[in-house]
Amino acid sequence: MSDLAIVDVGVSYGRFVAVRDVTLAVPAGTTLALVGESGSGKSSLAHAIARLLPPGTGLTGSVQVGGRELASLRGRDLRDVRGRVVSYLAQDAMAALNPVMRVGRQVGEVFARHQGLSRRESAGRAGDLLRRVGIQAPDLVARKFPHELSGGMRQRVMIAIALALAPEVLVADEPTTALDVTVQAEILALVRALQAERGFAIVWITHDMGVVAEIADDVAVMYGGRIVEQGPVRDVFAAPAHPYTRALIEAAREQPDTAAKARFLTIVGQPPAGELPSGCSFHPRCPVAIDRCSTERPGSRLIGEGRHAACHLAG
Amino acid sequence: MARYLTVRALLGLIAISGVVLLTFVLQFLVPGDPARRVAGPRADEVVLQTVRANLHLDDPVTTQLATYVVRTAQGDLGVSYQRRRPVIDMLLERLPATLLLAGAGLVIEIVLGSLVGVWDGLRRRRSPALAAMNILLLSIPTYTLGFLLLYVFGYKLDLLPLSGGPGLPELVLPALTLGLFGVPYYASVVAESIRVAASSPYARTAVAKGLTPRQVMRGHLLRNCLSPVITLAGLDIAIYVSGVIFVESVFGWPGIGLLAQESFVNLDRPVLMGTVILGAVVVIGFNLVADVVRAYVDPRTRTDPA
Ligand SMILES: Nc1ncnc2c1ncn2[C@@H]1O[C@H](COP(=O)(O)OP(=O)(O)OP(=O)(O)O)[C@@H](O)[C@H]1O
Ligand SMILES: [Mg+2]
Repeated sequence: MSDLAIVDVGVSYGRFVAVRDVTLAVPAGTTLALVGESGSGKSSLAHAIARLLPPGTGLTGSVQVGGRELASLRGRDLRDVRGRVVSYLAQDAMAALNPVMRVGRQVGEVFARHQGLSRRESAGRAGDLLRRVGIQAPDLVARKFPHELSGGMRQRVMIAIALALAPEVLVADEPTTALDVTVQAEILALVRALQAERGFAIVWITHDMGVVAEIADDVAVMYGGRIVEQGPVRDVFAAPAHPYTRALIEAAREQPDTAAKARFLTIVGQPPAGELPSGCSFHPRCPVAIDRCSTERPGSRLIGEGRHAACHLAG
Repeated sequence: MARYLTVRALLGLIAISGVVLLTFVLQFLVPGDPARRVAGPRADEVVLQTVRANLHLDDPVTTQLATYVVRTAQGDLGVSYQRRRPVIDMLLERLPATLLLAGAGLVIEIVLGSLVGVWDGLRRRRSPALAAMNILLLSIPTYTLGFLLLYVFGYKLDLLPLSGGPGLPELVLPALTLGLFGVPYYASVVAESIRVAASSPYARTAVAKGLTPRQVMRGHLLRNCLSPVITLAGLDIAIYVSGVIFVESVFGWPGIGLLAQESFVNLDRPVLMGTVILGAVVVIGFNLVADVVRAYVDPRTRTDPA
């Protein structure tokens, strides 16, 4: 299995820049959690890594898996990489499964496409795979339509599709947000077990600090399209360097049980939309901002063992 | 599903009864004397009396209605005043021509509409040329288009027969007239469905599997357009049937529509009633079939859990 390296990645929808200068490294077998408020650009970055941005979207920078560049791939080369080198797990499994196709075929389709298997062979492989993701009666489930399954089952089916071809990288965009806590725990355990067995790298997007602690080795915090802090989960949680990270962790501690999205609302002010503020994007909401913050944008600096932060006051 | 269909069939029966009642009463409001039509303009009063007696025209309306309802319930639609033939036979004789025309028109509107819709739906923005064509088609009344086609292809270019049937050369113009009208509707529905489907999370999943654009289209997007198309066909069927009647009259296509028009002019009440009942049965039956087909292509619309 190979490492994922993201260098200076930018995403723009027309003139709107959703992601800027993102540089991250996810070694094989490890999990990077990506956190941040709604609209901070997490999904855009996820789609950039999985090469799933809508046509016409601007993608700059480099996305490498085991040294192979994905960002510049097109056409057939790109299609061969999808599902085989990098896979994507969506937030809402109900919406991410085709409502009018039996789930067995939706899983089997991957084998038909990449390994040229016949329908019958694909169906057989789909059954095996469904069993692997913890579905008890795979043959029965394979004949169901998505709406006939529970939320947890649907997400297991999605995991089966994503991991069918043993990809090197799994990009998961809040796949447990819509699930209740017990099911969420089951899904996390399943993904962790599969990762331990196969050693793929994971980029896991979430709003939930509990999930970060549960699943991730490293965490990256996104604000206004940029990574403002990154480092090992334990270190960042113990001593957050960026005031925004501090506010996120603080908010999660104060209201551990409220809905994940609501937690961020306790940070005063609105996240930036459209035009970014001058200097540090966070300075209008920052409790400790100094004059310099409104004029000079802080670059990302090394502030400790494997830790980076973009704040004039950090380190 | 079975229970749902039974309920729908019962509701359909009630609707048909309503239509029968209404049409039956309306017939008596149409001015003119059916006996006069049968006997001819120069028949004297004695002959007229005999004809009236034979056709039970002197009975009170309620008696006539009661007799009609009882006979109809037994499957007997009566005998034509004009031709002295069973109405059922006349309907069956004309039915194939109408089915041919209606089917051809339906195929044209669905196939052409879907092709145009898919093409439009795959563009990032709606095609202005298509929008203009839609507005044009939507604002031309059916008869104008019919007569226009007749004038250009039948008269000016002399490529196709002006009227008659039920052969293939005669079929072209009425089928086109009938079909072209539906094209904008189907095209918009399909284009919209394709747009929605193409930007849906399941389309993204399909792309993430490494499928080619063609495989995504065929395997995922098109399937999700079927249901709205079937819904539209079901909703449109009543208007479509009236279109068939109209087009048959304009083009002299010897089907049920022409029969309805002739019987209306001739005050041939049993025949007119027969065509009306047949029309109602077709509309209701078609809707039932549309429901079943939709349940087949879109499992979410199945009412009973499988
Ligand atoms: N297809 C698109 N076209 C135009 N703008 C887009 C598109 N997708 C996202 N955006 C914009 O880019 C910004 C970042 O969106 P993104 O979905 O990446 O945020 P996010 O961090 O995933 O938010 P959430 O937590 O709500 O999922 C938002 O302002 C959003 O409106
Ligand atoms: Mg998102």
